[in-house]
Amino acid sequence: MCLISFRFQQPSNFDSNSKFRAAYLYSFTRYFYWPEEKQRDNFVIYVIGKNDNLISELKKLAAQKKVGNQGIEIKNSSAYDPSVVSHIIYFTPSQDGESVNEAAEKNKNKGTLVVSETNSFNGGASINFLIVDNKLKFDYSKTAAVKAGLKTSEGFKTLVNKTID
Amino acid sequence: MSKLRNIYKSLLTGILVFAAAVVFAQPDAWNRAYSLVRENPVLAAQIIDSVIVHPETKDSASSWTVRAFIYFELYKRNDQIADKRYRLHSPLRDTVVSSLKKSNKLHPDEIYAEYNRTLLVAISAHCFNTAKDLLQDSMNHQRSETAYNKFKEIKKTALPQHNFKQDDINYYLAVGSMYSEMFTKDQKNIKAKETAKVALMKVLELEPEHPSANINLGLMYYNEAANLSREMDYGADISQIDIVQENMIKLAKQAEPFVLKVYNRNNNNEKALIGLYYIYRMLNDVPKSDDFKAKLKQKGVEVDDENVPVEDNKGEKKEEPNHKNHK
Repeated sequence: MCLISFRFQQPSNFDSNSKFRAAYLYSFTRYFYWPEEKQRDNFVIYVIGKNDNLISELKKLAAQKKVGNQGIEIKNSSAYDPSVVSHIIYFTPSQDGESVNEAAEKNKNKGTLVVSETNSFNGGASINFLIVDNKLKFDYSKTAAVKAGLKTSEGFKTLVNKTID
Repeated sequence: MSKLRNIYKSLLTGILVFAAAVVFAQPDAWNRAYSLVRENPVLAAQIIDSVIVHPETKDSASSWTVRAFIYFELYKRNDQIADKRYRLHSPLRDTVVSSLKKSNKLHPDEIYAEYNRTLLVAISAHCFNTAKDLLQDSMNHQRSETAYNKFKEIKKTALPQHNFKQDDINYYLAVGSMYSEMFTKDQKNIKAKETAKVALMKVLELEPEHPSANINLGLMYYNEAANLSREMDYGADISQIDIVQENMIKLAKQAEPFVLKVYNRNNNNEKALIGLYYIYRMLNDVPKSDDFKAKLKQKGVEVDDENVPVEDNKGEKKEEPNHKNHK
């Protein structure tokens, strides 16, 4: 008697957490207000460090969504490059705090939302991703956002894990 | 089937000898029935049907065995018609089985008892094949299970001591793998999901440590979790993202113990290592996912799309060091 064939399930290699990071970065555009001079041309999300899955997700996002009337452009480099003009800078976890602080400093009042992902969030960035009970969440520094020249919607505070100031 | 053919041939010969020796029965009817079996089984059936009601032959086990073989011939011919391949209910097959059961009740001698057993086993194999065919037709899981239960019932009649545990494991594992695959391809197919889960749980009831059932059940939960995030709109609001994450984590945590069980029994099980790597990556448990990634790397298994050239802001490509360890 022939046995019935058995097939193993293949695990999906879809990186859910990269999708969540991409979706969060995009959702921030609803709660922050960029200065008028940055509401022209493309809306640039600049990723520092290596995360191919995130870049791939952001590119898919950019193909589908806009920020207001602005198209979305994704830029990526292995180290922070101050000459890149962007609306959001996201530092992957491999980046050191100094680079984050440097970026925050150089983008003061320029309307750039600096987002980091570190265990030692000190308010250099406006937003810091962190893991709480297996979930990707984020802390928020209003002081850093103000320094960056960004206005924030009031309701945003209720959505964050923690406000550090 | 060639074994069955030989038995069939020798059965006919035996019955002819037997028939010649029979003084009390209807020798003419017997002989006519035998020669007609191949030529005209329908007429043979009519004749044998008169034999099994005749007062002098109705209580002979051999009458009923011969009847079973004649109806088996009819059943085979009928079964060969392509569009009836999936026939679940077959009155002819039922007649074969009931004739064999009747023969068994009449205390057949050893030879006839063996004939009865052989034919019952052959019929049960047909039911198993029907179950298998019906399973491959996604719409017919319940019919497949009916055929499978019929296979068990008939085989139990033939071999009362037979242990069906392994048959059950193989069958429900196949149901589980087929339907979990269907669900993975179409996550809206809730019926496939439920069918797969029930089938795999049945396997685990029989053998809680069964590696394939544990892996498939675990990965089914994991894939369902991955799909939740894949289907999420990029424009989802923060509170929606939070809900999707919550549900995804619940499913990933459901997946973990099944795959972990396999790993704990065999630290080298590659499918468990891969599954756990992805589950812990989903759960944002970096130390554990890194640990499993390292274990896989030692085995030469690659799980990520790493070392793709990083594009810098000027549009140039920079090659990162290649750490890939190909198998």
